[in-house]
Amino acid sequence: MPSPTADRLAIVLRRAADEASASLSKWLGRPTRIVVREVTALPLDRAVTMLGAGDAVLCVCGMHVAGALPGVLALATDDASGLALADLLLGRSCGTSTEWGEIERSAAAETTNIIGCAYLNAVAADSGASDETPPLVPSPPWFVRDFPEAVMGGIVMTQAAADAVFLTRTAFDIEDTAIRCSLVFVPQTPLQEGPTPSAGRT
Amino acid sequence: MSESQPCRNGATVVSIGMGEIGVARDGGTLRTFLGSCVGLVLLDRKRRLAGVAHIVLPDSRGQGQPPGKYADTAVPETLRRLKELAGDDALHLTAKIAGGAKMLPFQQGQTIGEQNVQAVERLLAAEGIAIVGRCCGGEHGRRLVVEAATGIVTVETVGGAGGTVL
Repeated sequence: MPSPTADRLAIVLRRAADEASASLSKWLGRPTRIVVREVTALPLDRAVTMLGAGDAVLCVCGMHVAGALPGVLALATDDASGLALADLLLGRSCGTSTEWGEIERSAAAETTNIIGCAYLNAVAADSGASDETPPLVPSPPWFVRDFPEAVMGGIVMTQAAADAVFLTRTAFDIEDTAIRCSLVFVPQTPLQEGPTPSAGRT
Repeated sequence: MSESQPCRNGATVVSIGMGEIGVARDGGTLRTFLGSCVGLVLLDRKRRLAGVAHIVLPDSRGQGQPPGKYADTAVPETLRRLKELAGDDALHLTAKIAGGAKMLPFQQGQTIGEQNVQAVERLLAAEGIAIVGRCCGGEHGRRLVVEAATGIVTVETVGGAGGTVL
């Protein structure tokens, strides 16, 4: 399968972000915005520290996607924002969740599922229906809480042999909350052509 | 190297980023964070020298840049830098290794972490360098800290109590 281009990926991701924003706004009961900032290429060492470095702890709920435009979709937060998001999803007052138990991880997984479904729908719309179109196969969401460089290193590993790692950065804001998340999409293979300065910007 | 910062005893801690190599002597401390990557530590305890390579992939396939990124180029380059630091070739080295975890689920077959560990083991054996401590595998990241003066290597995980001393 040929590698995707940065422009095509940006189009698909923008469509996915719009759909995910609408779904999450319903799910969370308040306006939620996911905006694709850019499809960009970073050196490996910068890609793995993009969401933090050193002794910080990063919570990542992710999903592998196989088929057309394969890659890893990952929702990343710090503990405070992640647990606040879980409280919001579970209808609890903020601060109720103090650690990542099974139910809090489930809440994060469901959020990732919603975003993942939006991505799959966008890829399907982009690819059209054809016998040659590879089937879209999402993995169940997984949860990792670890050092940022260790987690991101795992996510970008499929591109580690290249000089630069292509990834997508988004803004993910939930209105009237201090919750801040990052949504990252890392294509499984390097993109065919370098991103133009406008690629993926909104 | 990515950064350096003072630690409590006044020594400088040098952070080794992904694919980088660092060397230190006497009071120097080297630190790196590992997932599926392998941290290779080479020590000359008598001369109080230490080198750390943060190895990402097992085989350079002829690319080799940066040399710390690949096991087959990181081992000779770390040796070269330690010899340069010592000022001669008369080193008595031992090795300690950590990392090589399976960070994400749904990785099938032999993981890249396992391949990294095996490649480092093979290359060290070829150089005649004994591995005297290891903390590899599992499904979690590691913080690896090396004190050149003592040769003590501390490996810690998120939420782990106390850490492991190699």
